[in-house]
Amino acid sequence: MMIKHTRLLLIVEDSDEDFEATLRALKKSSIDCEIYRCVDGEDALDFLYRRGKYFGEHNKRPSVILLDLNLPGTDGRDVLKEVKRQASLKSIPVIILSTSSNPIDIETSYQNGANSYMVKPVNYPAFTEAIKSFEDFWFRVAVLSNDIL
Amino acid sequence: MTKITVSDPLLLPGVDLTNCDREPIRILGKVQPHGLLFVLEPDLTISQISANAAALISRTSESLLGSGLDTIMPSEQVAEVRKHLFNEQNKYIRPIPITIDVENQQKHFNGVVHGNPDGLLILELEPFVHVPHALGNFYGLVQVASATLQETQSFDDLCQLIVHEVKRITHFDRVMVYQFDEDGHGTVIAEAVEQSMEPFWGLHYPASDIPQQARQLYVLNWLRLIADVNAQPIDIVPSLHPRIGKPVDQTYCFLRSVSPVHIEYLKNMGVGGSMSISLVREGQLWGLIACHHREPIFVPYEVRTVCEFLGQLFSIQLGTREESHDFQYQVKVKSAQFHCIEMLATEGDYVSRLLATEDILTMTGAQGAALCIDHTIHLIGQTPNEKQVRSIVEWLVTNNSQDVFATHNFSKLFSSASAYKGVGSGLLAITISKGQGSYVMWFRREIIQEVNWAGNPNKPIEIDDNGDLRLMPRKSFEKWQQQVENTSLRWKPYELEAAEQVRNAIIGIVLRNIERLASVNADLAQSNSELDAFAYIASHDLKEPLRGIHNYASFLLEDYESILNEDGVSKLNTLVRLTQRMEDLINSLLHFSRVGRVELAFSETSLQNVLTETLALLELSLQDAGVQIRIPRTLPSIVCDQVRIGEVFNNLIVNAMKYNDKQDKWIEIGYLDETPTVFYVTDNGIGILEKHYETIFRIFKRLHGRDEYSGGTGSGLTIARKIIERHGGHIWVRSIYGQGTTFYFNLESKIEL
Repeated sequence: MMIKHTRLLLIVEDSDEDFEATLRALKKSSIDCEIYRCVDGEDALDFLYRRGKYFGEHNKRPSVILLDLNLPGTDGRDVLKEVKRQASLKSIPVIILSTSSNPIDIETSYQNGANSYMVKPVNYPAFTEAIKSFEDFWFRVAVLSNDIL
Repeated sequence: MTKITVSDPLLLPGVDLTNCDREPIRILGKVQPHGLLFVLEPDLTISQISANAAALISRTSESLLGSGLDTIMPSEQVAEVRKHLFNEQNKYIRPIPITIDVENQQKHFNGVVHGNPDGLLILELEPFVHVPHALGNFYGLVQVASATLQETQSFDDLCQLIVHEVKRITHFDRVMVYQFDEDGHGTVIAEAVEQSMEPFWGLHYPASDIPQQARQLYVLNWLRLIADVNAQPIDIVPSLHPRIGKPVDQTYCFLRSVSPVHIEYLKNMGVGGSMSISLVREGQLWGLIACHHREPIFVPYEVRTVCEFLGQLFSIQLGTREESHDFQYQVKVKSAQFHCIEMLATEGDYVSRLLATEDILTMTGAQGAALCIDHTIHLIGQTPNEKQVRSIVEWLVTNNSQDVFATHNFSKLFSSASAYKGVGSGLLAITISKGQGSYVMWFRREIIQEVNWAGNPNKPIEIDDNGDLRLMPRKSFEKWQQQVENTSLRWKPYELEAAEQVRNAIIGIVLRNIERLASVNADLAQSNSELDAFAYIASHDLKEPLRGIHNYASFLLEDYESILNEDGVSKLNTLVRLTQRMEDLINSLLHFSRVGRVELAFSETSLQNVLTETLALLELSLQDAGVQIRIPRTLPSIVCDQVRIGEVFNNLIVNAMKYNDKQDKWIEIGYLDETPTVFYVTDNGIGILEKHYETIFRIFKRLHGRDEYSGGTGSGLTIARKIIERHGGHIWVRSIYGQGTTFYFNLESKIEL
């Protein structure tokens, strides 16, 4: 049975400017979703495992994770591996949003179970377009495991 | 004269030597007519005698057979003969003065007695000739000669002195020092000759001139006189010894008659009488003092004794003088070798240092040298050409495992080498690295180029009355080049040693270079990984703030466009555009660095397919630009990285498309039938001035304004060249300015699949 509820988008992004650009692009569409930002990989894992500063909180399981690769400390690659290794988390779509167009990064991300890979362009209209497409697909078109109760 | 019968004419060339070598010159059974030979029994009765007793002592030889010696000479002289024959102490006291009463006249003879190899007792008599006082006595002659010999400095002086001295005391027309080499060939190294006669100095004579058994006799008898080549030899009667039933062995007889072959040989040379004095070194026949006279000549016994003594004196000198002669050369070799090694010991490029010096040739006594190091060949002096040297390298790699390889007859081992026998009959090679095919080689020319043979050493063969082939000594003594082909002078042990020393020095350098290279490689690996890190930093850490600037400029435009004036909006738009351009440049740099480092994926690839795919990707742009594509014939298959070569085609076609201002644009892609195949991309575009042929390949170098001809970062050709070079190929451009441009490239890919 499917029910409607507000989906949670977890954005893992260390750069405030990039986060703002992403947020700005997301706001341009009318899709209703909650957004939570983690500033690095450790923060993201704490959030997902409800540990550290999230201990005892009842935060939502994210519907989609938008993950940057290059993060201070535990970086996006480790987060991706951990999420896709963990049975309780692996069904969450992880979309990589990175500056890196390095073929090695792209290849290993997919090898490690990334559901999509987007390169951040230095072109705001193109970026906005990319974010809109992402949102449109994952929050309108796709049926996600979180939806099934 | 030994006759030989030859049924196969092809066997002829090998005939001469062995034939002469078989000639039984010790037992010819004849004597020269100027003396008498007696074979005596122990009781001194005559058992054999030369048949010229009538001529010399007016007694028939037959009448003397069976008589005692005392029937012809006084008894005290018979006692003297007996003493010499049977008393060891008197062995070396020669000659015995003999007086024979010939028709009431006292005739004086010199007598010499000895035992022959069969144990027979032999007495030889020759007429006593008084030596004129002008020549001095034996002691005087010897004293002067030996004193002068001692005083000479060089070996050449010594040789010159001895020929002049012998000529002075014997009155021969021509006196020569004749030296044998390792193969028995002889060379005239000193000569004293009458002015009117043709000099033989410097001429070479083949070994077959002096057959083996004659050489043995020269060692046993140090002096040999042939008084008159036209004299009829006298038989010894009876021909066989009555008791032992054999012809008498005349090994030690000075009267022994001459081989008819040798007589003919001397006659052909215009010689009437000759004498030779053996020069013996360490029991080996080193050479001869050869004396020729146009007329018959009798050299008195006393003078011959002086000559023999001089020969012995010379022989003693030989050891020390020749060694010192060679020693001087050895010093030269050593010093050149030392100089080479000294230069090798200093820092820097050893190849160029070796090339800069003559010593490399001097140290081995070579006329040419080749340095084959790291597939590059440097030639010095007289050598085979580069291609031939490469074939020698290949031969050495396959056939030689020695560190130092030497031959004086290379074509015998490697038949192709006969093509350059003139410069490379002798080869000395040191192995630097067999795996790398690195060698240093020295070459010696064919000896024939230096040799003037006296006459044709291949003695002409005559057919005698019986139809048998018979060897005849040559008729002519004009200079004639001997066909001893393909050989050089031999490499001396100390020359090989010098080569080995140089090899050790070079190996030392190579090892040092390898160590240095290993450390450079480590540094390089380090800097490569740093370059990777740098590329990543460029891609990410530089781009992030750049994107920030871009985005915030965009936000400004979005949020405040309405309150900004036109100028402000324009400036913000420029800012946005510049950030995008910056990103393009960073991406190009990143791509270029990746193309240079990422491993290529080689496979057999149809370039036609690669081209078709590339054109499919560009189809829309090509249509927009209105470009016609021409492919005259299907491109071949080649081993390459198909993705990268696709990129090369893409970059070249995009350029051809962009830089074209013609109404009807076309691009032709094809190939030339060369090895390796040359591919080309040709257009009828704007063309490139020749002065820019190189600069266009520099990264970010543009010939036109940034926004002319649809822009671009200016890295396409740089990347194309990098890809082609990584395939072992080349790219170059030819253009007619204003009419069109052709880019050519080949892929000399040596990758084996």
